[in-house]
Amino acid sequence: MFSKLALKNVTRSVRDYSVYFLTLMFGVCIFYVFNSLDSQWVMESLRGSSGTNDTTRQALDMILTLIDIFSVFVSVILAFLILYANNFMVKRRKKELGTYLLLGLSQGRVAALLFAETALIGLISLGVGLVLGIFLSQFLSVFTAGFFQIIITEFHFVFSWKALGKTLLYFSLIFLVVMVFTALTVSRQKLIDLLQAERRSERLKARGLGMSVALFLLSLVLLAVAYAMLLIRGMLRVDALFYLMLALGSLGTLLFFRGLSGFLLQVLQSNKTLYYRGLNMFTLRQFAARVGSNYLSMTVICLMLLLAIGITACSVGLNNTLDSITGVQAPYDFYLAATALDPETGEETAVDVPAALKEAGFDPEVELEQSAQVALWQGVVTWVAGDQEEVVVFLLPLSGYNGMRSLSGREPIALAGDRCTWVIGEENDVADRLAQDGQVFRVNGHDLAVDGTAVSHEALSLGYDPTPRSYLIVPDAVLEGAAEEGALNMNIDYFCGNYRADAPKEETEERFQSVLSDFERIAFRAEAGGGGWIRCQTRLEVYLETMGTKMMVLFLGIYLGIVFLLCSAAVLALQQLSQAADNVPRYRILSRLGVEEKMMHRSVDIQVLLAFLLPLALALVHSVVGMTAANQVIAQVGRLDAAASSAVTGVFLVIFYGAYFLATCAGSRRLARGR
Amino acid sequence: MERQTILTVSHLQKYYGARENVTRAIDDLSFTVEKGEFVGIMGASGSGKTTLLNCVATIDRPTAGHITIGGADVTALRRGALAKFRRERLGFVFQDCNLLDTLTAFENIALALTILRTPAGEIEPRVRETAALLGISNCLKKYPYQLSGGERQRTAAARAIITRPDLVLADEPTGALDSKSARLLLERFEALNAEQGATILMVTHDAFTASYCHRILFIKDGRLFTELNRGSDGRKVFFERILEVVTLLGGDAGDVL
Repeated sequence: MFSKLALKNVTRSVRDYSVYFLTLMFGVCIFYVFNSLDSQWVMESLRGSSGTNDTTRQALDMILTLIDIFSVFVSVILAFLILYANNFMVKRRKKELGTYLLLGLSQGRVAALLFAETALIGLISLGVGLVLGIFLSQFLSVFTAGFFQIIITEFHFVFSWKALGKTLLYFSLIFLVVMVFTALTVSRQKLIDLLQAERRSERLKARGLGMSVALFLLSLVLLAVAYAMLLIRGMLRVDALFYLMLALGSLGTLLFFRGLSGFLLQVLQSNKTLYYRGLNMFTLRQFAARVGSNYLSMTVICLMLLLAIGITACSVGLNNTLDSITGVQAPYDFYLAATALDPETGEETAVDVPAALKEAGFDPEVELEQSAQVALWQGVVTWVAGDQEEVVVFLLPLSGYNGMRSLSGREPIALAGDRCTWVIGEENDVADRLAQDGQVFRVNGHDLAVDGTAVSHEALSLGYDPTPRSYLIVPDAVLEGAAEEGALNMNIDYFCGNYRADAPKEETEERFQSVLSDFERIAFRAEAGGGGWIRCQTRLEVYLETMGTKMMVLFLGIYLGIVFLLCSAAVLALQQLSQAADNVPRYRILSRLGVEEKMMHRSVDIQVLLAFLLPLALALVHSVVGMTAANQVIAQVGRLDAAASSAVTGVFLVIFYGAYFLATCAGSRRLARGR
Repeated sequence: MERQTILTVSHLQKYYGARENVTRAIDDLSFTVEKGEFVGIMGASGSGKTTLLNCVATIDRPTAGHITIGGADVTALRRGALAKFRRERLGFVFQDCNLLDTLTAFENIALALTILRTPAGEIEPRVRETAALLGISNCLKKYPYQLSGGERQRTAAARAIITRPDLVLADEPTGALDSKSARLLLERFEALNAEQGATILMVTHDAFTASYCHRILFIKDGRLFTELNRGSDGRKVFFERILEVVTLLGGDAGDVL
């Protein structure tokens, strides 16, 4: 009998408290999906692949560790959310619980009944959420694969026992906490309070409209000041004024919601035709009457939405920025530099890289489309115009520079014998002065004038340096014999190349990687006891490494973004539903007066829509301003891709916010109909 | 003036419960109300008077029988049509909780017009006119919780008559009022009836309230027990006659006072 009652109550709850279920389900689903990341086969294959170096593996492990840490944080948030939702459910069932007590069920029995119900609801939502999660994680797998530009030829079913176990553990704990709380709430209630719960309705206070209008206008001023501060000062200067800006923005948001309804009421009341039409008057008054209890939560929800939108949009945008950085950082397929140490003298000797490669089994003539030998020099040159000032610079011979240009698909440049030019990596005043046409530099005893027409501002990366450098380009002849003079050193002789275009690059890369140890042996003459060092990196490696960062930013960003979004939507929905329950007597009066269901539904929908739309609208305005400011920061390395990030954010908003909106509308309508 | 029948209740039945255990809340009840009448319905608790009013108000559906209001058989109307019928042809005053607490008195009265899609320009003069009739002109800007019980009921009455309905239904309108406010409200009802020609059907168990009516139907166990006509009697005399019937009905003293 007892279990039958619990079962019956739960089936009814599924219908009546759809928002509660939606929250539990989404929570479980999101939790599983992100924790299943470690068994995504793409991740597995990345970790296992020979092309993956230690840095990438570290980045991947870092993502998983961070997701672990974040999951604890997220489960705490979800626990609070579920407690809040559960509290709402118990509140609405007070009378029912009171009746059980009245019928003679002991408080222990009632608590046990609720205990059983929560357990049952927990089991159902865990089940549904997990199924949904497992289904969605298949999509995540396709998504990650797309990231690494891996074409999926066969379907891999993704399932993570670890994520399953973790989800079960965390949510069992959450439900346990919820069950204990529920039982405690019930056992502490007085019977009379439970039975009369419906009678007590909140006292409404008349609020001055003039005050509201003034507050609303003040909020607009505050927001305008905060926006201006953010846009003018940017995001990076975190000082007292920055916190003032945050405070102004938050206060502005608070006052905005405090004054908005009064302002709307004032504006619409002056338009009699609109105000006195159908239920408009009622709808607006309802909205205005709620402001006292709603403006705080609307502010919090607006700020939470701002976080959700900001995090999602920035992580997606930044991710695309990182993508474009890779192209700059690794303009050709690989580089390889080697220096051998003579076994007897210990002196550094240059290695003939192409020959050694060929001997190791990787013939550059066959495997490569193009190649170039680039010698990087470093040393002191004299800036003749600047009071004979001596500057330390990187130098490249013209032939090597042109080789690099052609590797990245650019035309070679020509330089007269007494001219030099610059490749500017980081723009600043000094670089501007140095690169002026006609500036003269003394390099290894030659006076060279800058050819201003040949100066390049395109970042050029030799050795895949993530931070772009400036290079002085000089005719090859100038550097002849420079090493003996002592002022200049040849740092490294890079051998750079592009794999042949008519074969898959991954295969060529694999062959290249496989001969590296042989190459090392040959270059160092290891049999004779020689040593040395090699430097080597491929574009694919850099790509994967950047991808690691990308994934981390993206996954964590979206994870947190969705959780915040879920919280805002759920809190909003529950609040609206509990108010709709308070409104039942009002709708009963309307119904008696002869208001049709259709008309009441429209009024309900408008009320719910206002509650959902207003915080969202202000959060959107906030985030547009915020992203404009963020762009100024990110512009130094790239740009936020506004279209892509808006699209992704939009999709999440529509799915989560939309689902809660619809569930709330349906629930409120049902309550208004009085059934 | 030609007598015109506004309300006809014929062989009305309302049963609750299943086969073996049927409660007959209304059992074959028939009566008519003429245009411009002020009719009271009296009976003890559980006599079926509120059920009757709910059926006439189209809030509840009878088990059998017909109710015709202004020529339309409301028992044959569908749900959607009933709402339209209610807002166009009927006015309501209930014991309590019948004003919307989020709206001012003015807006509460205006609501009856706005849901009828009355042009905005007509609304204000009509509300002021009706408010003046009920003596609440100076509290139109107040919210219900700022009004006294009597003012609240008169506001509800204003809302009920502003649409000039065929029939005004009142369910224990003085139930929650002190005697002074009750008297004030009833005098207004009388005036509405006399000056505006409003037809009023009022349910009450209070003999004093009932004494303002022209005619009283007594109901016992879902059936018409008897009917009293005030005729040319003064209110005091009529009150005495009502008390006699109430005693006869077997109502205890608590029901009367």
